[in-house]
Amino acid sequence: MSSLIDKKELEHLAELARIKLRPEEEKQLLHDMQNILEHVKELNSVPTDGVEPMNGGTRLTNIFREDEERENTNRGAGHDGFPKEDGGFLSVPPVFE
Amino acid sequence: MPHPLHELTIKTFHDGLLKKEFSALEVAQAFFEHIKRSDQKIGAYLELLEEPALREAEATDLALARKEEIGLLAGAPLAIKDNILIKGAHATAGSKILENHIASYDAGVIQKLKNRKAVFLGKTNLDEFAMGSSTENSAFKKTKNPRDIERVPGGSSGGSAAAVAGHMAIAALGSDTGGSIRQPAAFCGVVGLKPTYGAVSRSGLIAMASSLDQIGPITKTVEDAAILFVAISGRDPLDATSAETKYDNSLLSPELNSVEHLKIGVPDEYFSGGLDQSVTHGIDSAMDKLKSLGLRLTPISLPHTKYALSCYYVIMPAEVSANLARFDGIRYGREHAAGAKTLSDVYLEERGKGFGQETKRRIILGTFVLSSGYYDAYYKKAQQVRSLVSADFDAAFKKVDVILAPVTPTPAFKLGEKTDDPLAMYLSDIFTIPANLAGVPALSIPVKDSSPLPVGFQLIGRHFHEADILGIGQFYERLN
Repeated sequence: MSSLIDKKELEHLAELARIKLRPEEEKQLLHDMQNILEHVKELNSVPTDGVEPMNGGTRLTNIFREDEERENTNRGAGHDGFPKEDGGFLSVPPVFE
Repeated sequence: MPHPLHELTIKTFHDGLLKKEFSALEVAQAFFEHIKRSDQKIGAYLELLEEPALREAEATDLALARKEEIGLLAGAPLAIKDNILIKGAHATAGSKILENHIASYDAGVIQKLKNRKAVFLGKTNLDEFAMGSSTENSAFKKTKNPRDIERVPGGSSGGSAAAVAGHMAIAALGSDTGGSIRQPAAFCGVVGLKPTYGAVSRSGLIAMASSLDQIGPITKTVEDAAILFVAISGRDPLDATSAETKYDNSLLSPELNSVEHLKIGVPDEYFSGGLDQSVTHGIDSAMDKLKSLGLRLTPISLPHTKYALSCYYVIMPAEVSANLARFDGIRYGREHAAGAKTLSDVYLEERGKGFGQETKRRIILGTFVLSSGYYDAYYKKAQQVRSLVSADFDAAFKKVDVILAPVTPTPAFKLGEKTDDPLAMYLSDIFTIPANLAGVPALSIPVKDSSPLPVGFQLIGRHFHEADILGIGQFYERLN
């Protein structure tokens, strides 16, 4: 079986997804991903020329509303979950070293 | 207590309240007593909300004492899946990354149920972020099937299904992305409805795959499923995909003459091998009963069924990888990783530690199918196949009104049986996924007298035609 994904690619994906993997996790994940991708390969046998992709759960058309000012009654509620707060702002480590 | 808990449905509870056979408070207290005795064995609940629940139950008793009119759900003790927000209560979605998360607002469905004075007993266990088919992926505990505690309750709404089947709630809410309401309902011998996509607001549901997720009821009877569904459905400005719908209480009292002319299609593709004998027998028995009601059954074809699972395992992870990007290990109540020098370190550390195996697998798979170079080959291809799966249903519904199918290939499997093989676990949703891809409503009903383990059958309807499947279901459950 030619592998559809290798270790280097998996590490790159984990970096993109911002997930640090332990080495033993990496091995298991590589194995599982290969099995799953091998299975979903069967989609290639379905002729789909000219088929419009279905890109949502509904075929209803968009409904627009006026852009009006609305009062938010729950403002600031998310702050309760902040581990560290500074004057209403979420405090985090620096973005750059 | 004149009424043992196991006999109570939403309807009989309401009737009992009106006849003053018991008070709402007595019933709520009895449920908590029963939960404290039984749930150590089953593990359905993650959190109990005893204090507010008893207060709400008393409010219904007060309303009755003042001779006010009360609705069908007033005082009704419900269990809520822990990925649905109740303001002030934990909402962990079964994940360590959210273990300290307290909801800061009510989900749309919770607001609707609060308006109807329902009582929330607690939050129920689930596979992490609703990803799984056995509730073994919860970061906190494994739920067991009340019908056989060596077996799984199904998933991901396993806690809600087990709470109802174990008489630890009158009814419950779950969520269904690829079968997460219907499969556990079938495994535990209760009723589960996945509504039409857009019929119920997803506001306040911790998103897994937004184009597939729907909240729906898990109940003891089809009639109760109709009661809860009518209560939670309808347009919500906070969910742009929720539709203006006109469901009303006529769903609760269907007329036989509006149901008996419905034509039921039986798709060949759902019966082509791999079905456990007890499922085959169960479906045969359900079909015979439906025929005895005068309903006509006819063979149909849904030719792309075999590709639905693969299609789902591309589209769902893609949406998961986007939806779960918001869990950065900082907001929603996690502490910073010790010693992290930069923001990026916090993300890597906290997401690496906070997410479980299945969640990581799906995020990374989703990242893969969306990455440049693979997008067209996987994601776009899967969306095209989704169109074909959906078109199969459109074509079938030109010939028939309702489709009958199995819910699962087998009854409940043993704990640990499939945890090492993700693909085998995924295959247990093979008959439920197509309805999510097409966005059509589907109802899982327990087959009468199936033993030793429960077996379910599925009725799938046209978009927004819940009345058809709930109608047939209610006539089925009235038969002996």
